[in-house]
Amino acid sequence: MIIDKSEIIENIQIADGIWQMVFKSSGIADRYLGAGQFVSILVDDNWEHPIRRPMSIADVKDNKVSIIYKVFGSVTQSLTQLKSEDYIDVLGPLGNTFNVDYNLIYPILIGGGIGLSPILNLSKSLAQKGIGVTTIIGAKTSNEHFLQHNPNNNMFLCTDDGTVGINGTVIEALNIVLKDIKNPKIFACGPEPMLFSIQKMLDKKSIPGQFSVESCMACGMGICQGCAIPNNNNGYHLVCKAGPVFETNEVRFD
Amino acid sequence: MRLDLTDLTCKIGSVKFKNPVFTASGTFSYGNDLPEFVDISMLGAIITKSITYELRVGNPPPRIVETPSGMLNSIGLANIGVNNFIKDIIPLYKNIDTKIIVNIAGSTNDEYIKVLKDIESVSSDIVGYEINISCPNVEHGGMELGVDAKLSNKLITELRKQTEKLLIVKLTPNVTDISKIAEAVEEAGADAISAINTVIGMGIDIVKRKPTIYKTYAGLSGPAIKPIALAMVHKISKTVSIPIIGIGGIVNGENVVEFLLAGASAIQIGTANFRNPNVGEIIVDELNQYLKENEILHYSELIGKLNLYE
Repeated sequence: MIIDKSEIIENIQIADGIWQMVFKSSGIADRYLGAGQFVSILVDDNWEHPIRRPMSIADVKDNKVSIIYKVFGSVTQSLTQLKSEDYIDVLGPLGNTFNVDYNLIYPILIGGGIGLSPILNLSKSLAQKGIGVTTIIGAKTSNEHFLQHNPNNNMFLCTDDGTVGINGTVIEALNIVLKDIKNPKIFACGPEPMLFSIQKMLDKKSIPGQFSVESCMACGMGICQGCAIPNNNNGYHLVCKAGPVFETNEVRFD
Repeated sequence: MRLDLTDLTCKIGSVKFKNPVFTASGTFSYGNDLPEFVDISMLGAIITKSITYELRVGNPPPRIVETPSGMLNSIGLANIGVNNFIKDIIPLYKNIDTKIIVNIAGSTNDEYIKVLKDIESVSSDIVGYEINISCPNVEHGGMELGVDAKLSNKLITELRKQTEKLLIVKLTPNVTDISKIAEAVEEAGADAISAINTVIGMGIDIVKRKPTIYKTYAGLSGPAIKPIALAMVHKISKTVSIPIIGIGGIVNGENVVEFLLAGASAIQIGTANFRNPNVGEIIVDELNQYLKENEILHYSELIGKLNLYE
């Protein structure tokens, strides 16, 4: 990992409250290992907000790194004000990657809310390897989606209010999708309640999977010990170091 | 003629450090496992994460949340325990190019003593101990000792008998009069005082109607607590003659000068390490620059040199 003052190439709104930023960083791109890894961003130099913001990598192409972020506080709000040719302080790449043993399984990718970022990244990298996947992206309402619902292409959107795609959560969509798939393995990222629901369902059906987990963290490199998630051993994993990707049965949300 | 390189050497008790910029316990691991871009040889010393007798897994999440100019944490002294520390970490200190001070915590006086004795029995590569009697995030030991002058005195007296190495006591600001605790640990034979540990705080999530941290109360750190830390260091410096290591919201060289003027002989960087673990090196450079610009031969000329209004 490095800390890089990276030049912004693009910073645009792609859906309601959802933005995409592309910045240049050979240092981070060279060290990047794959989908699942994240960067941690310092939005301004003053100390009003002392902590970096962890954000999953949505794509790496040549020396360009993309992130997709949701605006939900003053820090992400001020992130939207940055323009191309501005510089941003980025720490990364951090964490581990999804591990897809695609010879034996059929990948079903699930992204909820801003959790779609590593999921789209994984989807792209699998497509480049010629591996077919089914993708489910969930949001509250159609405004928050920027992709097209396209079941013929194995791309399923769902919304809580039914304004686009399947009416319901990613769980309803997953139930529909699973009917036609043999040897599925689930790769999911999203809010904790969503992952918890998926975990219970996979457990019941004995389906394997991996989660990319979200967490508050102060450092992103295992020092602050802030990003603990319960394991099955009466202890904790650190999301930043042992994760953010875990086998679905390695973490506990209860 | 002035030297090109400012002399930053620092002496606490009988130990000489490269410079007065140390990293605070819990913000720099055990000095290992840091990113490769961090040059620890630039630091005066590293204070390890608190070591307890048994391994501790720490508190349930959420453990950390940002606050205006600061953060709340309640990690709960998660650490590998003294046996693993001796087996896996202490051997690494043979090749480390800075001084190591081991922070010790416990639930009882016996636990503190056992941890210190065990480390004493194996290693000469560390220069001393920082005794944590000020952690706000554990139920026993920690702060309940640090708010009581008699209990603090008793513990430090016992620990003093066990070691000739540097014995530093880390104090909590969550007391009525920190001078009383400082006096008590000086009387017990402490070589230095580090101040301050985190300030008790709380955050509330109005959507969930829950505290932002699992354990409800947590430790506030970062620039938000610097004014408290400066006041505490200043008060302690009026009471004791042993050196004070100032901690609390230091993010740059100017902040170091503030703590020196308040009466600190050295400082520790805490929260700022989370944002950039290499900030220590930057702060050393900034301190150097300040001294050169102000034609100060040695930083110790600044210690306690505050001009009060009356």
